[in-house]
Amino acid sequence: MRNLILASSLFLLLITSCSKPYKNLIKSEYSTNEIQEIPYILPYTEKVIIYKTDIHFYKNDISGLLILKKTAEKVYRIALTTQFGLKIFDFELNHGTLNVKYCMESLNKKIILNTLETDFNLLLIQMNFDSFFVFENKLENQNLWRLKSGKINYDYIENTNSQKIENIRFNKGNSEKISVGLQNNISGFPKEIVLEHHNIKLKMNFKLIQ
Amino acid sequence: MNKILSTLISLLIFSCILYAQDESFKPITDSNKTQVDLSKLTENTKSIQSKFIQEKHLSFLTENIISKGEFYFQSPNKLRWEYSSPFNYIIVFNDKNILIKDENKLSSFDTESNKMFNEINNMMIGSIQGSLFTDNERFNVKYLENSTQYLLELDPKLQEMKSMIKLIKIYIDKSDISVSKIKMIESSDDYTSIKFINRKMNQPIDNEKFNLSK
Repeated sequence: MRNLILASSLFLLLITSCSKPYKNLIKSEYSTNEIQEIPYILPYTEKVIIYKTDIHFYKNDISGLLILKKTAEKVYRIALTTQFGLKIFDFELNHGTLNVKYCMESLNKKIILNTLETDFNLLLIQMNFDSFFVFENKLENQNLWRLKSGKINYDYIENTNSQKIENIRFNKGNSEKISVGLQNNISGFPKEIVLEHHNIKLKMNFKLIQ
Repeated sequence: MNKILSTLISLLIFSCILYAQDESFKPITDSNKTQVDLSKLTENTKSIQSKFIQEKHLSFLTENIISKGEFYFQSPNKLRWEYSSPFNYIIVFNDKNILIKDENKLSSFDTESNKMFNEINNMMIGSIQGSLFTDNERFNVKYLENSTQYLLELDPKLQEMKSMIKLIKIYIDKSDISVSKIKMIESSDDYTSIKFINRKMNQPIDNEKFNLSK
């Protein structure tokens, strides 16, 4: 009985501490059209960005060059080519919707395309959301920029010393589905991005070339 | 106004030059000579060492993506592509083995387990050594020439290949009957062109070039 009470108390402590980790932090609400407040350059640059890319998907490895170009407001072209230049995929991300211009047959599956749509929306902050706020964690020198849509939280975690986003998290309820680690260069471009799914075996590494 | 007019004229002249370059290739006149020349390509190409410049054209980019490196071929089926710019990457095809050195990471697998690499391997070796031109099962081949080069246009017959590549253009210098450029055009008209420069034909290549170690 004592063990049961102890276990229940520990469980309660665990879920209360997990569910509201930011409750003592200063929270400021923003309007949903103010997401440019997040200090993250990737969605806004007009430059052509090229990342050397490695994708590990279950037992498959794909490597090549990811080419990213903003072509209009909230419209991006995202293409992956092999080192030899052959295209693996060529997508348009238009207001958060992924349109396939070309995709290799083996990858042209709804479940894969939906996954990539979520990933690129996360990296380029193109997803739909209802509310937007920031938690200031002065103790840890962090700002947690949160975009909320129902039970889904998209968290962009800023190191307030460097004023750059260093982590991105996609959470559904209390479960973390995707995490992204970013190393930034001086001009603020992520020079290395590691995106990992926690419910499927999918990991992507991006290293900035241009 | 003058500026606009001069820009328009320059554009017109430039597009005429481009058109003229493409048009300078005409269907071959002496098919026997061409057959003899092209058979030399297969018979005489024992090895190649060359630098290469690869250009990737994507319709949504204003500038092509340029990669550079070195290329080694040893007949019948050893190939090494060594990219040095804008990244370090080496891929070696040695019989049925594929070895990749990506920065310091070494990996290996066999061509049969990776269909795409197998296809690339066959296409590259076939283009360089000429076996692709006679592959009537997989390609319709159109023979063109100008005063200095043959241009072979390979139109894939198989649907699987067609979905990746619409046309392969192989440029062969008449002076030494060697491949100087390969252009792979995708169905969207995006293309990859690989130009081989400083080609050294049939000179010994250290066998170690076709092995990779850490």
